[in-house]
Amino acid sequence: MIAHRSWHWPAAIAVLFAVAALGIAFGTVRLGLREVIGGAAGTGDPLHVTIVQALRGPRVLLAALVGAGLAMSGASLQGVLRNGLAEPYLLGVSGGAAVGAVLAYAAGLSGYALLALAAFAGSVTAVGATVLAARAAGHGARGDPRTLLMAGVVVGAFANAAIMIALANAPGNTVRSALWWMMGSASDATWATGAALAATLAVAGGALVAGARDIDALALGDEAAAALGVDVDRAAPRIYLLASLVAAATVAAVGLVGFVGLIVPHLVRAAGIRRHRALLVAAAIVGATLVIAADTVARVALPPAELPLGAVTAILGVPFFLAQLRRFRA
Amino acid sequence: MIEFRDAVVRYPGAPAAAVDGVSLLCPAAQVTAVVGPNGSGKSTLVRVLLGRQPLASGTLHIDGTDRRQLSQRALARMVAIVPQREEPAFPMTVREYVALGRLPHSGAWRAETPGDRDAVARALTRTGVDDLHSRPTDELSGGEWQRVRVARALAQDARALVLDEPTTFLDVGHEMSLFELAAALARSGMAVLLVSHQLNLVARFADTMVLLQHGRVAAAGAPDAVMSGRVLESVYEWPLVVIRDPASGAPAVVPLRRSPA
Amino acid sequence: MSHSQSTRFAGLVTLAAALAVAGCAPREEPPRAVTDTAAPRPPVDDFRHEAPRGEARRIVSLNPATTELLVALGAAGRLVGRTSWDLYTPAVRRARDLGNGIRPNVEAVLEMRPDLVILYGSEDNVMAARRLREAGVPTLSLKLDRIGQLERAAMLVGAAVGEEDRARTVVDSVHQTLDSVRAAVAGRERPRAFWHVWDSPIITIGRGSFLHELVEIAGGENVYADIPSPSPRVELEDIARRDPAVILAGPVGARRIREEQRWRAVRAVRNGRVLVVDTNLVARPSVRLGEAAVSLARLLHPGSL
Repeated sequence: MIAHRSWHWPAAIAVLFAVAALGIAFGTVRLGLREVIGGAAGTGDPLHVTIVQALRGPRVLLAALVGAGLAMSGASLQGVLRNGLAEPYLLGVSGGAAVGAVLAYAAGLSGYALLALAAFAGSVTAVGATVLAARAAGHGARGDPRTLLMAGVVVGAFANAAIMIALANAPGNTVRSALWWMMGSASDATWATGAALAATLAVAGGALVAGARDIDALALGDEAAAALGVDVDRAAPRIYLLASLVAAATVAAVGLVGFVGLIVPHLVRAAGIRRHRALLVAAAIVGATLVIAADTVARVALPPAELPLGAVTAILGVPFFLAQLRRFRA
Repeated sequence: MIEFRDAVVRYPGAPAAAVDGVSLLCPAAQVTAVVGPNGSGKSTLVRVLLGRQPLASGTLHIDGTDRRQLSQRALARMVAIVPQREEPAFPMTVREYVALGRLPHSGAWRAETPGDRDAVARALTRTGVDDLHSRPTDELSGGEWQRVRVARALAQDARALVLDEPTTFLDVGHEMSLFELAAALARSGMAVLLVSHQLNLVARFADTMVLLQHGRVAAAGAPDAVMSGRVLESVYEWPLVVIRDPASGAPAVVPLRRSPA
Repeated sequence: MSHSQSTRFAGLVTLAAALAVAGCAPREEPPRAVTDTAAPRPPVDDFRHEAPRGEARRIVSLNPATTELLVALGAAGRLVGRTSWDLYTPAVRRARDLGNGIRPNVEAVLEMRPDLVILYGSEDNVMAARRLREAGVPTLSLKLDRIGQLERAAMLVGAAVGEEDRARTVVDSVHQTLDSVRAAVAGRERPRAFWHVWDSPIITIGRGSFLHELVEIAGGENVYADIPSPSPRVELEDIARRDPAVILAGPVGARRIREEQRWRAVRAVRNGRVLVVDTNLVARPSVRLGEAAVSLARLLHPGSL
């Protein structure tokens, strides 16, 4: 079985920085190394300064944070739910956020901050509903993970219905705005949103990493985890909530960006990292790299238009599921 | 070491108690076996130990301390429990898996200590799975997997070991080697609590047998005393005779046929 | 701290962070209070930004209605960026195609080094306007949805490019034409009209649409005048129930209506009263409004003009 090498870590970090630099260099206006530095320092052509400092800089930062958050959230959920197909939006996060955003648009509210708050509130409500539904159906605080997954599906179905009803008779630009939001985009990134997401990740993500030991145990099964000293009825809900909080924060910031949280943990495990503390940190690095790259592709694939970020990451789903399919048969 | 006193457990919505006034002592340096038909409450006792099921009444003491006053981690340092079933969602090497047995001892940010590495190495050796240490867990045979699970429990460096139905899916050879291991661990000082439905193997290796029926103790004591044809027949509701196994000298159950050949 | 406490703490920090975002993100400015009527307030655009004045030489127009205006004002030569739909004249086509005007690529716009950017005033473009202004480029954000908005839009655009006189002339000419159309159809019986905008789902015009205003000016009566929204979805049965005398549709729509079985439920279709409208002429309320009104009046009241 593969064991990861110690040089993997500095290599991963180096790749992250390299991709970030490329993310700042590439775009509608192609910037060379000198222009990037001039833009960053504020000394170059004002056009380049604006592009680097106001447009691409915050985007790359936000993309990195979103990728890190989603990857950590996905890795945590896969471990605690013992399921390699678990992903950050599982417990109602995406459905709830979309309902929040669509209702905000339909009510005529917009403006980035209100939308973000509405999406976040929607997420939190949906996750709460999922946990309560699972609790009512199963026994005890933890119940069977499958009950929780099923409850997530139910809440998601409800959310989809609500969205469709809200959009059915909405005017054209509301539908367009809502759809655009749901496809995910880092185009409205500012330093402020980056800072807010960074703060959230530092706290919630930090808590996930601190509790990663528990995920190691929970990944073996509830009884095995209890045998290894984990208070399952406290630890499991705590991890669901933290992971969902992180996911909800990323959705509030950039809309729905799928597949990152699903795929990155598998990539990291394939590289030989299996203990969850290292897994979460490595996933954060790889996730950040991936989403910066996806955002860059979104910007340069079809100029001057911009692809939604969620569309680019969705394409990743294809090779991933193909690989899973092959492994399944073998 | 592990002592249940008048333990009563009720599952919500169940008409009768799953465990109805069971008292049981599992002392150090002995193999104590809990046997009985399905649904007699054997696994429920393990769940109570694990903290997954509360006692409705009665007490459970670990090494003199009330279980309720022990944190989950503290319990895991004193008692190593190998539950009935386990399948890791994501495969890892045997060594990594056994190293998880050190979780009750490690802090959130601590790296592996030499003490940890020692404990893991000793556990691997004692269970005889040294040469499997880099094999992925999803490539082990049933017998190998059971031993590896016991190795993880041993890595916990606890003074008591609880094995819940450890020989399901094992063939004769692996069954014997597991029971021999349990006996050897008891001889070295551990308190071994073994839940099993393998009456004959238990009779050969256990120092004390506790026979449960419908959540109550039907018989308890040395195997010779508990393995009485009358008692066993009434508990298992099947005609049988108890003979003395000529090869091992221990009592053995031979079930009889009910329908003609 | 204990585990559940750390979860609550994380939740509180997240909420605080979300509120911080709310504090730092772009905000719609509140309308200024009317305190001193003597000093005139500078005019504002649809995003309540101060409208630029000057003689812009490098104009990006991301709003097809204003591109038309610029052509009418003789400023097409100063256009360096346009939408994909602006294809009138070679001078306009020479400008860089910068997309459809919704959520424009700010980098591409900045690359043209404009000194004026005209945006379509919908919510999608608030961020773009903000970014352009932060980069020092004056923006003018306008929504041209009603005939009444044409005058203001034309004057603002005129002021931004130094062609206020010509703007005045254009506006006056449009108004004159509209007035003459009104006069020509006054006193005539007003046919009830249904305007077919889109087919699946069926979309028509409510009284919030400038097309509704055009129909009224051209001497018709919109059967859906009771609906306030500009482009409501409607059901075929309801159209049949309202029983319009004529149907106005673009060439493609008209063909569909004539060919599809279900449209025979409407009496006007059975009577062959499906009138084809020049969709280029009526796409938006702009300088060709006068022509649009004339062509509509000719359809509804043949021989009046």
